[in-house]
Formats: sequence, structure tokens, C-alpha cells
Amino acid sequence: MTKTFNSESAFPKLAQAELGNAQLRANLARATTTIREKRLRVVKELPDWEELRSAGAAIKDYVLDHLDELATELESNVTRRGGVVHWARTGEEANEIVVELVKATSASSVVKVKSMVTQEIGLNAALEHEGIAAYETDLAELIVQLGDDLPSHILVPAIHKNRSEIRDIFIEEMGRSGLAAPAGLTDDPAQLAAAARAHLRDRFLSATVGISGANFLIADSGGLVVVESEGNGRMCLTLPQTLISVVGVEKIVPNWESLGVFLQLLPRSSTGERMNPYTSIFSGVTPGDGPQQFHLVLLDNGRTSALADPEGREVLRCIRCSACLNVCPVYERTGGHAYGNTYPGPIGAVLVPQLRKGNRSALENSLPYASSLCGACYEACPVKIDIPRILVKLRTDVVDAQRVEHPNNPELLSMKAVDAMFSSPRRFQGLVRFGGLLARVVRRTKVRHLPPPLSAWTSGRDAPLPPAESFRAWFAATHPSASTPSAAPTSKPPATSRAESTTTAPPALREDDARDAMIESLGSPHHGVHDGTPPTGSFSFRRVGELSSDERVAQFTERLVEYRASVVEATKDGVADHVRSFLARQGSTSVIAARDVPPSWLADTASVVAFDDPPLSVAQLDDLDATVSGCAVAISETGTIVLDAGTHQGRRIISLIPDHLIVVVEEPQIVELVPEAVARLDASATQTWISGPSATSDIELERIEGVHGPRVLDVIIVRAS
Amino acid sequence: MKVALFLTCVNDGLFPATGRAVVEVLESLGHEVDFPTEQTCCGQLHLNAGYQREGLHVAQQFRRVFEPYEFVVSPSASCVGTVRESYRNAARTMGDPRLEADVEELAGRVYEFSEFLTDVLHVTDVGARFPHRVAYHPTCHSLRTLGLKEGPKDLLRAVKDLELVDFKGSDQCCGFGGMFALKNAATSVAIGVDKVTSVEDAGAEVLCALDNSCLTHVGGVASHERLPLRTMHLAEILAARE
Repeated sequence: MTKTFNSESAFPKLAQAELGNAQLRANLARATTTIREKRLRVVKELPDWEELRSAGAAIKDYVLDHLDELATELESNVTRRGGVVHWARTGEEANEIVVELVKATSASSVVKVKSMVTQEIGLNAALEHEGIAAYETDLAELIVQLGDDLPSHILVPAIHKNRSEIRDIFIEEMGRSGLAAPAGLTDDPAQLAAAARAHLRDRFLSATVGISGANFLIADSGGLVVVESEGNGRMCLTLPQTLISVVGVEKIVPNWESLGVFLQLLPRSSTGERMNPYTSIFSGVTPGDGPQQFHLVLLDNGRTSALADPEGREVLRCIRCSACLNVCPVYERTGGHAYGNTYPGPIGAVLVPQLRKGNRSALENSLPYASSLCGACYEACPVKIDIPRILVKLRTDVVDAQRVEHPNNPELLSMKAVDAMFSSPRRFQGLVRFGGLLARVVRRTKVRHLPPPLSAWTSGRDAPLPPAESFRAWFAATHPSASTPSAAPTSKPPATSRAESTTTAPPALREDDARDAMIESLGSPHHGVHDGTPPTGSFSFRRVGELSSDERVAQFTERLVEYRASVVEATKDGVADHVRSFLARQGSTSVIAARDVPPSWLADTASVVAFDDPPLSVAQLDDLDATVSGCAVAISETGTIVLDAGTHQGRRIISLIPDHLIVVVEEPQIVELVPEAVARLDASATQTWISGPSATSDIELERIEGVHGPRVLDVIIVRAS
Repeated sequence: MKVALFLTCVNDGLFPATGRAVVEVLESLGHEVDFPTEQTCCGQLHLNAGYQREGLHVAQQFRRVFEPYEFVVSPSASCVGTVRESYRNAARTMGDPRLEADVEELAGRVYEFSEFLTDVLHVTDVGARFPHRVAYHPTCHSLRTLGLKEGPKDLLRAVKDLELVDFKGSDQCCGFGGMFALKNAATSVAIGVDKVTSVEDAGAEVLCALDNSCLTHVGGVASHERLPLRTMHLAEILAARE
């Protein structure tokens, strides 16, 4: 049975329990330190990082001000491309839609790509309730699911587990739901990843329904973008006949060009990589390639009510990178479970109260206080969400509700008393004098125990006592002639705070009505703050590179090698030699390629060559050792190769199933920057962005090459001269 | 020039030595210091804890007292940060553009003490001598709200016979966070313990910062853990003539 967050306890109580776990503290400290350093390194590399952040924030603001128009534009483009769009106002509605869609396929199980939003709505439990098994395929999600645990991090849900704990879970649990862990499994992360690959392999190859979220939805092309590392995403997005994607409506970006910004911001902020190993981009249904049934469920679940105020809108910029978690001193000590819900860390502390407006449980009231307001999150946020300022605003909402509901609560009364003291110079000076008096009586400089509520201070800290001579007495004695300019009393009474607006749940409606109701609420915050065009053009991030072709080749090579790919340079006639030797090195005796690859690439190879014509079955592909493919474009700065199912490439599945991928890149295909690649690519093409072999950082945030996608990547650069 | 000292409530009640040090350093540089006795607090405690009404009430008192001065100097980065950012944010949340304009104008005249030395007076060597191993903890408000990075360290480097010690995780929060220290005491202390451990590991005798509130927390943790670490405000080191 899937565990779900159902704590009503407040953050301090949940945190107290987590703080006592020394292993957890050690795991978190190690993991967050690693990722912080990685992030800083790759962020410092980009001279235009601040411009990219500003552009990211502005594009998201534009989206949030135009969500009704953009959501309907997206809907029409997805529909035009053969997909079906569903609208869900609540988690329950979304779960119902998904359950019905899965039931219609008669599938008894689904494979899932890691998705925050399906956790938010409790989809796995809803599917289980209907007898449908939901298998998580992301390594960290698998660890959490096998261990009957709860996720504790947005990007790395099993960050609280170290390698030996993960090994124990695999040995204990894998056999219960599928292929058991191999005998003699050690805690070597590469072995653990291999065990996950073996455990999930048949599940992928036989899956008929896949479920995903998405990182971005592109309004003007109907495109869906899934950013991942292991290749489990590609498996779920490519192999099943039916794909259902559940996506929060705020994930929309206006246009294809926006990806040039977000595909730089997201990987560097989240895994601290220049680019994540795999990004899949597709619109609706691609005939003959991937799922032939595609359903997009657009989810509200509190988002439109968050849109209603400026702080809520700012929070909805979030691209779920989790950089704020990794830099947060509180998260580093307590871990994610203390936040009591799917979204932990600083972003969770501001997002959850906004998504659940009007719901004032002890947990929601405590989340805005689960921060020292240190500001590290704001500094790291790739879309510049001012989390500390929003936390303070949410605290103000909590206090203002208390004023009405519990006007006599002790905290409110003491804060009012302190205000009375601090806004009167006479009373304040009396307090200072009293302090001096106390010091003369007590004659100590510190105390080890204070009475409640200040006992919270002395629970782990000694407290100072006031000194006998105050500053005021000293200054008066040493500066007898000091003059004080008369203060002009220009006091203005503070305005009373605006009344809490209460939201009432709308009556249950059918799906068509849900669509109209949702679009209407998405449009309601439209204030015309931004003009009618997406603001990407007004930021001066780099759009054209400066490197020469030789330098691009050198940079591209260096970056790929860092990802542990092998790279060679060849002349036009020398490709076949390198293909042969790569195949021989891996012992790859069979190879697949698209029908249109140049025969010269595969000349004189000793391996058996199959062409995907007619298309091979998944089982046939799984019997083949290697793939040889061309590409559409390559990016030197990030070491990325983009396949778009065009010339010399073929279907997405070809470059996914065989374990050894050889890509031939022509020198003129290499650009320097992500925005240059975006400009060259066709937004409507089905794309796979590949940066190295499949990899995972799910075990202690260390990158390990080789999970579900090809474990070996070889690249042949065909030099122009 | 003539400057008004905003001592802050924490220093007024608990750390008079910091105020004396600020006066001594500024006067030794030939400036005149005024101490408006009507001053109380900037309102940070209330504003950050969600008590916006009360916070702005206290803020009005601050504004009344310091309105007439061209230069207001304060030995607290977090209080200066409050005047510069929280007043504006609160005025915005209240939807009061007139108050917002007033506090913006005032904010431009309020300086953190080390910032005033390095950025207004352009002084780094104030003639201090302090023969100890000192670690500098950039508090969150000095580093991230006021953007004070090298200035305070330049001041320390110019102190005769002072050895500036670097330590791991120096730019991470100490765990104080105002009401956070009480509402989330266990987490606050856990962060503080890591901080003092790291400073101790680096072999520092004294931990120095621009905020006595943070130092009260860190020093309190160190004392509770029976560590010999001393905490001192930067101003007191700059006033030292040991």
C-alpha cells in the first residue's frame, strides 16, 4: 500500500523527530554539500547566468498573467497533433480521469516517470484502489517505493538513504514485486544501479501504459518536455502504447524559444550538471514512433487560487529544480519528511500554504516559520522567487487569522506587549534600566536556564544577562553636551490589513464544465501587467556563440568525455573504421540503424546489421547490441547531441533499447550554445537531447553512468576538412 | 561629519560595549556622534514574525527619531536590512504607497557600521591592534541582504597582529533567525552546533560578526557546549588597542 503524507503535526514536532536520526543528518550533510558545490561550479561558468535568471522569471510571470490564453493555445496544438486534453480542477478529478483512462486500456499495471504532481494528488494510491499497480521507475522513487517510505526531496526522493541502506532495501524487497536483487549485491552505486536496471527491464519492455508529469508544456507547439537522467523517462514515454501525462497548468511556457532559457537554468540548478543526460520533447502522437494514444491532464488543484495574489503568482514560477532545498540550512538538518508533504524545503514552505489556501492546519500554519530567513534560497533560485519575503507575507497571514480566531493566544498578547514597550521611548528606557538593575542583583553574565517560553532558548544555548552599566548611562556621562535634534512627529497610523478572502469549494461538475471553469479562473488574475508578447527578447543572454569551429569541436569533445563518453574525430571516409573499432571494443556483434544511414558508415563491419525497416519489435531491438545514428544538432557548451528522428536517425526507440549507442556528428552540426540549438531545431519535431550515457545521481548525489538507457555512448565527429 | 547612532534594542539591553566601540571608532576618526535617546527598536522582531501592524508601529517610532539625520549608523546588519527591505515590503503588503516612499527615502540614509567605514568614509585601517585568531562569520543579512562581502574582512585584515581564520561553511546561516530560534529551537540549535564546531575546527579563538543577535545564539551554543570560543562584534575588535 502506498504511503501518503497525512501528518497534522506542525513542523517543529516533525523536525524534532528527524533531528534525532544521526544517520539521516550525516547522509543529508554529505549529499547537500556535494550538490551545492556542483551547482556553484556550473553556474559560475555562465557569464550570463543573471540574465538567464531574469529572463526565466519574466517568462514565467508572462505565462502566469496569460494562463487562460496559453492553456487554450496548448490545448488546440496538442489536439491538432493527435493528443487528448483533459482538465482537472482537483486532485480527485485528475485521479478519476487517469483511472478511467487506464481502465479503458484493460492494463493491470502502469509504469511511471518520476512526477511531483502525481505525488501531490496521490495518484498511486488511487490506482491501487482500483487494482492497478503503479510501478515507479526512477531509481530514487523505486528505492522509496520498495522501502515503503516517503519521498524527502524534490529531485532525489531517497536523499535520506545512503548506499548501504539502499542495498539492504534492494536485497529485502526487490524479490517481492519482481526480479530479485542479484546474489552478493554490494553497496557499490554502479552495482545498485545495475540491479535497478535488471529489476525494471522486463517491466518497461512489456508496459502498455505509461504515466508521466512534465517539466514544460510549450503552448505554441503543443510540446511536452521531460527532463531526466536515467532513461526511465524515455522508456515510459516511448515504449507503452498509451501515455498519460498529468501536469500542473503552471508548467506552460509560451513558445519554443523559451526552452533556450529553461534548459540552461534547470539542469545547472537541479543536478549541478551542464545538461542532464536525457530530455524528451514531443507533441501529441508521432505516427509510428512512441505511444499512439496520448492524454494530457491539465491540473489546477489550488493553482488558480494561488494565482489570485502576487505572492502566489511568484511561487508558481517554480520549475521544481530543488536548488533551494540543497542550500537551505534548515532542510539540511531536518530532511524533507519534517515538512509533512510532497513539497519539502523552502519552496514547499511557500507553495503548500498557497495551494491549500483557507486550510489552516497546524502543519500549514507552521510551514512559513520553518525558515531562518537566511536568503540562501532566493540567491539560488533560477527564477528569482523571493522566498524569504513570501515567507514573511505568509506569516502575516497566519498572524492575521489568529487575531480573529484566537485573539487571546499568548504569543499574540506578548508580541503586543513588546510593541507597547518598543513604541514608547519612556517604557523602553525603563526596560533598559530594569535590565541594569537585574544585572546588579544577579551578578552573573549568563544563565543556563530560563522559564517558559524562553526555556526554548536555553534548551541548547546559554543566555546573556544585561551588564550593570548601560550604554545610555555611559554615553550621557561621556557626552554631556550631545544634542538631539527635535524629532518631527509624522506618525501615520498603519492601515488595517485586508480581510482574508474565503474560498468555497465549487460544486462537482462534469469534465466539460471543469474545462470552462478552469479557463475562467486562469484568466481572472489577468491584470495586463505584461504586454501581449512573451518577454524573452528583452533579455541579453547569449544567443550566438563566439568560439571558432575548431574550438567548438574541442569543447564538445571535452564536455562529452567528462560525461564518460568516448569521442573520436574522423574524416568523411574514416567513419566506418571507428564504428568497427567501437563495436569490437564493446563486443557488439549486432547493430541497428535507420534505413537511410550512409552505407559508408557501416562498411566492412563484422557485426550483423539490421535496419528498422519494417520497424522491429521491442523484443527484437532488445536482442541487438548497438545502434549507429546520425543527429540533428549538437551543443558544445553542454556536450549535448540532439536527435530529432530526421535524416540518418529513425525512431526514438532505436537509440534507446540497445545498450551501446554510436552517434556520428558532422562538424557543421555543432553549435556552441543552447539557444543556438533551439533556433536550429523544428519545434514540432520529436526530439531526444542526449548528454552522455544514461546516468543517475540518486545515490548520495554522486553521478553514476549507466542505468536504463544505453550505458555506453561513443561519438564520432566528422571533421569538415 | 555628524552621524546618529542607532544602537538597536539588542545592543541597548545587552551589549553596551558594542555601542561604546562604535562611538570610540567614529570619534577617533574625527566624527561627531549623536545618540538620540528616544530610539528603541527597528521593528524587525515583529515584522519578520508576521506581526506587521505592530512592526510598522515600532518602525514609525524609528522613523520619527531618525528622520532629521543625514547619516544614521548602526552596528547591526539585520536591523539595517530591516530598514532597507522589510519596511518597503511591509508598506507594499499594506498597500500604502506614501509610507513606501517615506521609508525608501529614509533607507538611503541608514548604514551598517562597517559599510559606513568602508563605503562612505573609505577607511580600512582604524588603528586597532588585536593579537588573536579571529574567524569572521558573514551573517545572512550582511552577506545576502546588504551584500557586504569583502569590506568587513578588509577591516579585520588591517587590524594589527590579527590573524583572520577561514572556516568551512562560513557563508551558511548560524541558525538564529529571530523567532525561528524559539519556534524551531531544536533545528536552530542543530545548525548552531555545526557552526561552532566548524569554527572550533579552524582553530579560531574569537568569532566576529556584524550582528550581536546572531552572536548571542552562536555564543550561547558554544557556552552550552562548554567550548572556549569568544564572540565579539566587529566594532569591538576595531576599537581594541591591546
